[in-house]
Amino acid sequence: MNPKTIVTLAIGLILFLLPFFIELEGLSLTGHITLGIFLLAALFWILEPIPIYATSLLVIFLQIIFLSVQGPLYQLGQVPATGPEPVEAEVWRIPAEALQEGEVLLLLDEDRQTSEIAVTVLDRDNGLVTVESAELTADTRLVLDADHWLLDFDVPSYTSYLNSLANPIIILFLGGFVLASAAVKYRLDRNLTRVILRPFGTRPAMVMLGLMLVTATLSAFMSNTATAAMMMTVIIPIVTQLDPADRYRIGIALCIPFAANVGGIATPIGTPPNAIVIGALQANDVFITFGTWMMLAVPLVAVLLFFVWWLLLKVYPPKEEKIVLEMSGKFDLSAKAIILYVVFGLTVVLWVTEAVHGLASSVVAFLPIAALTACQVIEKEDIRNLSWEVLWLMAGGIALGVAMQQTGLADYMIGLIRWELMGAFLVIIVFGFVAAGLSNFISNTVAASLLVPLAITLGASGILAEGVSVEINAIIIAVGASLGMALPISTPPNAIAMSTGMLRTPDMARMGIVIGIVGLVIALALSRVLWPALGL
Amino acid sequence: MDKIYILCVDDESDVLRSVTRDLAELEDAFPIETAASADEADRQIDRVFERGDRVGLVLCDHVMPGRNGVDFLIELRKRPELELTRKVLFTGQAGHEDTVQAINRAGITHYVAKPWKREDLLAVARDELTDYVIDAGVDPLAYMKYLDKGRLAEHVHRQNRTHTGQ
Repeated sequence: MNPKTIVTLAIGLILFLLPFFIELEGLSLTGHITLGIFLLAALFWILEPIPIYATSLLVIFLQIIFLSVQGPLYQLGQVPATGPEPVEAEVWRIPAEALQEGEVLLLLDEDRQTSEIAVTVLDRDNGLVTVESAELTADTRLVLDADHWLLDFDVPSYTSYLNSLANPIIILFLGGFVLASAAVKYRLDRNLTRVILRPFGTRPAMVMLGLMLVTATLSAFMSNTATAAMMMTVIIPIVTQLDPADRYRIGIALCIPFAANVGGIATPIGTPPNAIVIGALQANDVFITFGTWMMLAVPLVAVLLFFVWWLLLKVYPPKEEKIVLEMSGKFDLSAKAIILYVVFGLTVVLWVTEAVHGLASSVVAFLPIAALTACQVIEKEDIRNLSWEVLWLMAGGIALGVAMQQTGLADYMIGLIRWELMGAFLVIIVFGFVAAGLSNFISNTVAASLLVPLAITLGASGILAEGVSVEINAIIIAVGASLGMALPISTPPNAIAMSTGMLRTPDMARMGIVIGIVGLVIALALSRVLWPALGL
Repeated sequence: MDKIYILCVDDESDVLRSVTRDLAELEDAFPIETAASADEADRQIDRVFERGDRVGLVLCDHVMPGRNGVDFLIELRKRPELELTRKVLFTGQAGHEDTVQAINRAGITHYVAKPWKREDLLAVARDELTDYVIDAGVDPLAYMKYLDKGRLAEHVHRQNRTHTGQ
């Protein structure tokens, strides 16, 4: 372990413990603990002394230990309490501390819930009070310290934290994983690419448009990384046959990662930040269907793709008149492959038609999971190769968000900034740009996880009087997180394009920054015009 | 990051020089070590492993004083840390029997006849190292620029079928 890792881990531990020693006015005890977890998670997610999915699991573990009824803090903590001493029928002697203001007693039940009863005070003597009450018995436990921290330590069962691992949005993603894995296994993605590209002909501009549309479409349903890697195998032969002085080479190498990043915005399963946002909204009883998401995102993706196409052709114009794409192969027509085609098609249709049949997308996601495993289209080895760590990464993000809201931490953090001075639209702009800026440097999923609880709380708080809905506040973060693509490290598709050696970082950075800003401007425009019309 | 070495073994220093020159464009990613005999090659390999690095490719002449190339490669096969290492034999003078031994017992992955053309040797080295990078499970992106981009991209494609955390 290198020294930087050790220092980061140590700082994380200090940040985690800090809220135990500082009292922040207006923040509950559970809020303090959640703040500690939030600080630790933010530091670890950003500096990565341990892998980001490991941090997510640590978040869930810390929540169970410190914030659940079964955790040691709650189990071992004792509320000071005592029993009354009988004097005569319905008359009891109790310590003076047990008598609360207004002549009431706090009774403690076995589940550590308290209830108040009023009593009549007969006599006070030397720290003891004699009271009359018909409700007291010899077994009653009387709270001695009404301000004790355990009394307002309102925590759920550990199962509510474990639930985040199988949150409906995680299951939706699992369905997407299974489809994507099977599509790669039976080369459906490659064959679709071949067929879709054919009508785009050989003019360099049209070839680029075709490549971008295929990349965006595939990455809307599959992993952006897998799509970009596959498309690289398609363009490498083109690039090697071009004159090294032809700037179109750079354009074609850039169009793939950009289209993959942008395409991920299009559907809920397109990229993990979308899931973080939808999951967080669900926790607030705001439900966005697969179809609704596509209606709000696809116009953005389409407009932005055409802009990227125009921009790249402008900056990197082709010298050649003709580009020939060589892709051979044919569709797998084995029984298993055909089952995959049918299940894939059916699943997508059911996802986008939720409004008609009412089956939630997470339920539909079980169709490919069940059908493809039952028909052994997906086998044990394929299941092992799914990106489970990404599901856990998302689960931790969702769990942290939920805790931040439930414990009042999000409210508290929102309260630190005087948002009302900014105006609703400015707030969305800030969230969008912060999300995009952050995710240039850190994981998109992590950027969304850290920001979404705040955006949702702010949207729901009513601080911003008009023009901001909870949904739009949150969705702009998912969009922003996908638009952070200026650097090779920003997204895996960028890293892949960069590592082929066909590009230099300044090319990617210049175009990435322009596209990120233009994308956000388009999204912000849509958030004023189209999205409200969709009922958001 | 641990480095992936190319090790070249030949008793003729001219040959070592020409291999180093022909493979120079790989050297940024794959440093080249040379050895004049099988024994020296063993010591070179030990040094590479002591530093925590790996050997991705061994290019070896057959006819050498002391142990010959095929015997050296057969010995290498017993070392588990070299299990995935690609082994190329180059020679103009290996007889039929030696060739059979080289394939059956030394596990060579390629045979280069002397004299070679620069492009051919480079292509062989690229191809073999691409195999090594894929088999050894090291980050393919770090080497894509130098090796077979298409095959490595395909490998990344299959490795990342489902979403990454980005």
